[in-house]
Amino acid sequence: MTARVDAGSRLLRLLAVLTWLARQGRATVSELSERFGLDADELIADLELAACCGLPPYSPDQLMEIIVDDQEVIADLGTELARPRRLTAAEGFALAASARAILAVPGADPDGALRRALAKLEAVLGGRGLLRVDLREPAHLAVIREASDAGQQLELVYYSASSDRESTRVVDPVSVRLIEGQWYLDGYCHNVTGMRRFRVDRVSAARLTGEPACHGAGDSDTDGDDAGPQSSEAFVPGPEATVTRLAVDDDAVWITEALLNSTSEPLPDGRTGVTLAVASTVWFGRLLLRLGPHAEVLDPPELAETGRQAARQLLARYRSTPTP
Amino acid sequence: MVDRLERLTDLVLVLLRDQRPKSLREIASEVPGYPVQEGEARRQAFERDKRTLRDGGIEVTAMPIDGPEQVGYLIRPEDYYLPDLDLAPDEQAALNLAVAGVHLGDPSGRDALWRLGLPASTGARPVAELPALPALPVLHAALRARATVSFDYRRERRRVDPAQLRFHGGWWYLVGHDLDRAAPRTFRVDRMNGELSAAAPGSVLLPDGFDPDAALPDVPWQIGDGAVVTVVVHVDAALAGLVLDEVGESALERRHDDGSVVLHLEVTNTAALRSWLFELGDHAEVIGPDEVRAGVVSWLEAVAGAS
Repeated sequence: MTARVDAGSRLLRLLAVLTWLARQGRATVSELSERFGLDADELIADLELAACCGLPPYSPDQLMEIIVDDQEVIADLGTELARPRRLTAAEGFALAASARAILAVPGADPDGALRRALAKLEAVLGGRGLLRVDLREPAHLAVIREASDAGQQLELVYYSASSDRESTRVVDPVSVRLIEGQWYLDGYCHNVTGMRRFRVDRVSAARLTGEPACHGAGDSDTDGDDAGPQSSEAFVPGPEATVTRLAVDDDAVWITEALLNSTSEPLPDGRTGVTLAVASTVWFGRLLLRLGPHAEVLDPPELAETGRQAARQLLARYRSTPTP
Repeated sequence: MVDRLERLTDLVLVLLRDQRPKSLREIASEVPGYPVQEGEARRQAFERDKRTLRDGGIEVTAMPIDGPEQVGYLIRPEDYYLPDLDLAPDEQAALNLAVAGVHLGDPSGRDALWRLGLPASTGARPVAELPALPALPVLHAALRARATVSFDYRRERRRVDPAQLRFHGGWWYLVGHDLDRAAPRTFRVDRMNGELSAAAPGSVLLPDGFDPDAALPDVPWQIGDGAVVTVVVHVDAALAGLVLDEVGESALERRHDDGSVVLHLEVTNTAALRSWLFELGDHAEVIGPDEVRAGVVSWLEAVAGAS
């Protein structure tokens, strides 16, 4: 499982390990490899190499003192390496953006520790208030997050854009996450007896049933909950989904960014080809309305009529007397 | 043959420890692994190492020195070391959870925790995914350095004094003062292209009273510089509640007995309004003004008639 890593990345990794070792003095190999996410063999190889580094004339007293055996690493590295390195631009941004994002989640920093940490970080990075994260706060987000954290079952009144209907659902929450600016609840829906993803801003009522959530977080190895932070893991398009291809021009190319689970490629005529799974013609018709004349359905041909139908249906409403 | 990792490690230690600029000849004699012969190959090997270090955020500073080579190199402590953040244990833990809870598409956050000597936390579940764009760290660094940035946007070169990076409605925006238009402007970061360059640190001069927080409205149909039009929208009972949650009660003009509502929306971007309306399908309809309603109808006719 040894991926080839370039010398620059290995150097940064090694410096990080050395900084930590310089502070600690000693550590077990397993502790180090776990902490830094490194294979034990790679770690030992890099540390043995580091034991040959130091200052001229590279006599034993000028080399870094690192003793590695099978179990343990003992190091005496002096103070230069014990101080942590500056953050790179990417690291500084990642820390500040992560902290800002969590602070924007209601109730996420109850004792203010993150706010204090961010203030110290921003003082060092230079620049306060340069980064701002706005997260939407749908009406029922708080109770849904609370239920998810506590492993409690929810009853939701949910408007489904794909069926264009509101219905009452009983859901065992698995996770509540913000993906590309929208809050989603992933959970086991008792009505359809399967995992579903719900947009939190389409929930018009939410309450705890008082029952514990019996599916989901508890049996995570069967539902993919531990599969990592990828947004698509828990998404279940449903058996009826149709793989559909569109051609869009520059004015509609935003859909490649706005739709989860779509892929795109350039087309010879300069437009962009977009492939997506369509589980609902209602939803797809509305998407085609938004794209308007800037999109064309390439495949399958039977879906090409969907947008025209949606447009005619809505036009019929506009052509009757305006609603008072 | 000296491993390149070993040469790089020695180079860092040699340039960092003595705190005086060293000529390339001196460096090559102290760091094993450079070509023995003075000349182009040695120079290139050193330049390559310098680039590798810079890519990893380790800046090698060149400065004039006495002697035949005239230029010497060192790593300044202020460029290398992180000032002590002095984080209390609960603050460390909170920062850890924040990094674990936000997925930014690359491991920079975890790398930063290493740097701070904090254990990367395991097991925490991600709360938010924010889009990762290569321009973001560059813009953030320019903001911190108060450096004017330039980039291509809608096929034009723009020069902007940056004031804020902001995640809003699912997108990253740069808020700043556009130098050529002499006015505040907001740019979608994912739509920037061409070379993104930053001028000298300290080049930013924002007008007095510039308020980046005022730059972005809460609703998409107010993003844009168009004239304000009050658009009257009817939403039927099925979606009235959800739409009111989104736009706020202040937009409510009338509530009908059948549960439907009439909203007054202040709109500067009718294209964005149209897109939002069509997501509501035939649950929503523009009542007026006539030109906005006619615009919606002609858009629908174009879709309905397309062959």
